[in-house]
Amino acid sequence: MENLMLLAPEIAVVATGLIILLMGVFMSPRTKNVLGYLATLGVLAALVLTVQSFGTEATMFSGTVSIDALSQFFKLVFLAVTLIVSVASIKYNENSDHTEEFYTLVLFATLGMMFVASANDFILLFCAFELASFATYALAGFEKQNPKSLEGAMKYFLIGAVSSALMLFGISFVYGATGTTSISTIAENASLLAENPIGLVAVVLLIAGFGFKMALVPFHMWAPDAYQGSPSVVSSLLAAGSKKMGFVAAFRVFVVALAALQPDWQFTFAILAVVTMTFGNVIAVSQTSVKRMLAYSSLAQAGYIAMAFVVMTPMALTGGIFYTLAHAFMKGGAFIAAAAVVWMITTQRTGDLEVPDHLDNFRGLGKRMPLTALCMTIFVFALAGIPPTAGFMAKFVLFSSAIQAGMTWLAVIAILNSALSLFYYARLVRYMYFLSPEGKKIGLPFPYAAALLLSAAGVLAMGLWPEPFLQWAMEAAKVLI
Amino acid sequence: MIPLIFYLGLAALLFSIGLYGVMTHKNGIRMIMCIELMLNSANLNLVAFSSYTDTLNGQVFAIFSIALAAAEAAVGFAILMAIYRMHDKINLDELKILRW
Repeated sequence: MENLMLLAPEIAVVATGLIILLMGVFMSPRTKNVLGYLATLGVLAALVLTVQSFGTEATMFSGTVSIDALSQFFKLVFLAVTLIVSVASIKYNENSDHTEEFYTLVLFATLGMMFVASANDFILLFCAFELASFATYALAGFEKQNPKSLEGAMKYFLIGAVSSALMLFGISFVYGATGTTSISTIAENASLLAENPIGLVAVVLLIAGFGFKMALVPFHMWAPDAYQGSPSVVSSLLAAGSKKMGFVAAFRVFVVALAALQPDWQFTFAILAVVTMTFGNVIAVSQTSVKRMLAYSSLAQAGYIAMAFVVMTPMALTGGIFYTLAHAFMKGGAFIAAAAVVWMITTQRTGDLEVPDHLDNFRGLGKRMPLTALCMTIFVFALAGIPPTAGFMAKFVLFSSAIQAGMTWLAVIAILNSALSLFYYARLVRYMYFLSPEGKKIGLPFPYAAALLLSAAGVLAMGLWPEPFLQWAMEAAKVLI
Repeated sequence: MIPLIFYLGLAALLFSIGLYGVMTHKNGIRMIMCIELMLNSANLNLVAFSSYTDTLNGQVFAIFSIALAAAEAAVGFAILMAIYRMHDKINLDELKILRW
């Protein structure tokens, strides 16, 4: 009999999801607000259980689920994002008739992400990936009267489904060459894959499949549309959570399972990382929709994280893993701030209603919504990599690992990109603080304020006091190498 | 016994047809059908490998992936229905509010 207590965080998440779904059936729209608090409690419990179980190592269910430092770290990332999202969604779902569906989908998406983090078998990896993907497809199209939401959802669905097919096709070749689907067994029989030309086919297909999920250029087309079209709280989950799922799966698949083919994929990732960060930053400069700008900046950040696959030293992997947590707080928080502004514009009926997240709607935000503006400033400066924020520490570790490994050219490109990105982040800050407001001051609803403060606290804590987080990330990187 | 390469060739052909269809068609239902074709070519691969490597993982995987493909189609058609109700069309090249 397996020790199910090891899966306590997952059980907490799925139980909360099912209870909310069942309770929602019997409740009126007005009383459904309580479901948001319930979801927050459930996620908080799962978060505490995950932190408590740090340091445990086990494999379960015939070696398909592995619980180690890497999976625990990424569970922490996903649960932190879900916590922020579910707190903010209390306001988003106020008086909505579909609250229980929203929260159940969010929780099931989180469950999928958590199982991707601990998957040690391609079957489980694929199923968990799909669980998270299906839930987020539905969430992206949650505003079914809003043509933008539907358009974003459709594009996300089509490209997501194609990438799943590519991934499955690639996995089938890995299985064919090695005769097993277990990631650790594949790693042990690495020579089978390296000698077989099928291995190369598998690498190409898997890079394309995971490239779509991680939104690396040229597999990025869906990301800006999906992030801009979806409700802002969902964009936060997509950019901060579901993208990280691609990274943890890619860490397991490329660094562990396909280690024998490292020269092949390392070179590809080098090109992808450089192209992604440059393209993302250059296009972000010309955006007028803040959510779309954040989406392109998210591409650039994915490019930075992908540097970990290129450098491949323990320090670089530590940096990449640390970066995913930092990025979860920064990007999650930034999208919540955009959600607060969208809420303000739609309730006040002032400004550009056609594009509620237009840059012009951020004019004078420092006077209209001081807390939102302050938190947004922290997030964008963290995204640009300015001390003392999480973004600075993450970039510092990652870029210095590239220099240490003798890849100065890569570090130089990344630093130049960070400098370029400062332009559009600073422009947003200029709009918020140096231009005069177009409306009166507005009180920020408590859920948005709480979510913003939570993520700002995360960003600052990781910047000012990075040792424990770096320690965790280092433990996680040890699982890989 | 039919050589393995024939199965792989058929699967690769099906996969390419599916990928080509997704990239060239404008009709939402056809695109979803083409995605199903891609997923099924992967299933064919898995089952063929399973029989030639004498392991069962591939067949189990194929059963899971068939179920997942059905679920995927359900989500996809739900989004397509919502789009149809709004635009009265299922041609996806009409979706062009979000760009650049």
